[in-house]
Amino acid sequence: MSIFYGMTKGRYGDADESDLIKAVIDGDKIAFGEIISRYRKMVARTVKGMLGDSVFAEDIGQEVFIKLFYSLADFRGESKLSTYIQKIAVNLTLNEIKRKKRFSSMFSQTGDEIKEYDIPVSDTEEMNEAKELVNKALKALNPKFRIIVTMRMLQGYSTKETAEILNLPLGTVLSRLSRAQEQLRSILDKL
Amino acid sequence: MKISEINKLIISSLDSDADITKIKKEFEPVSRLFDFSGNFEDRIFDKLFSQKITPQIEFGRIISWAFPRIALTGVAAIILLLISIFLMEGSFSFNTILGLNESYDENLIISMLTGN
Repeated sequence: MSIFYGMTKGRYGDADESDLIKAVIDGDKIAFGEIISRYRKMVARTVKGMLGDSVFAEDIGQEVFIKLFYSLADFRGESKLSTYIQKIAVNLTLNEIKRKKRFSSMFSQTGDEIKEYDIPVSDTEEMNEAKELVNKALKALNPKFRIIVTMRMLQGYSTKETAEILNLPLGTVLSRLSRAQEQLRSILDKL
Repeated sequence: MKISEINKLIISSLDSDADITKIKKEFEPVSRLFDFSGNFEDRIFDKLFSQKITPQIEFGRIISWAFPRIALTGVAAIILLLISIFLMEGSFSFNTILGLNESYDENLIISMLTGN
């Protein structure tokens, strides 16, 4: 199946977003492969930032693109495709967190928690330290704040963009940012 | 970069008036580490277009969705049953749970022998 990935580069490498969407709706699988390769890292930052580097994160990442595939025909182009994908990723990730929370309250899982947050090892010592800190900080944060921090730190979204993606009023995002900052300050002090 | 500097960077990135372009640039080496496995695209295509895998995935999903609910309902039913036994019989002995608390051993032997 890796034929799809190889073929996307040549045919749709420079294609416009709207052309890609049209091609996918017309049944072009290669165009969809191009969409995946363009946005997979963005989705990974959101999903793995929230869930950690687990099998669940990979599954949710795949589900994001599967949902996108089936809903592209309904995409009206009112927002950017990246925002639309980001919204799907956030919703599916939050659902997964809720599901895991419900499940772990019934059957307590303690061992998995730490393993889930192992981000791949980077090249330099310095990056490892930074990664480790981001890792621990995200892990310790309340999920409500974790999504805000992920959007800001890992995706580089402005407050306005974050509000749009999360469907929250601007004021709520600002207050959550400030509360997340407070929580992070005390978390990082302890690390 | 020292740990204290990284801490400072993390905290300052959450300032409401933080420079987004600067944050993006500073966190780029870390955010680059977040990616899916190499065969990510292939697995999506498998799920979308391969009929062999989809029913299994669906079954797994249904099971993982239904199991906690069924288990929880079962536990709730057992608790309700035990409460009702306790309220009706006033004890939790093994005989009470089996519904034999009002039978004497002799009665049991007779009923087993005679069938009455």
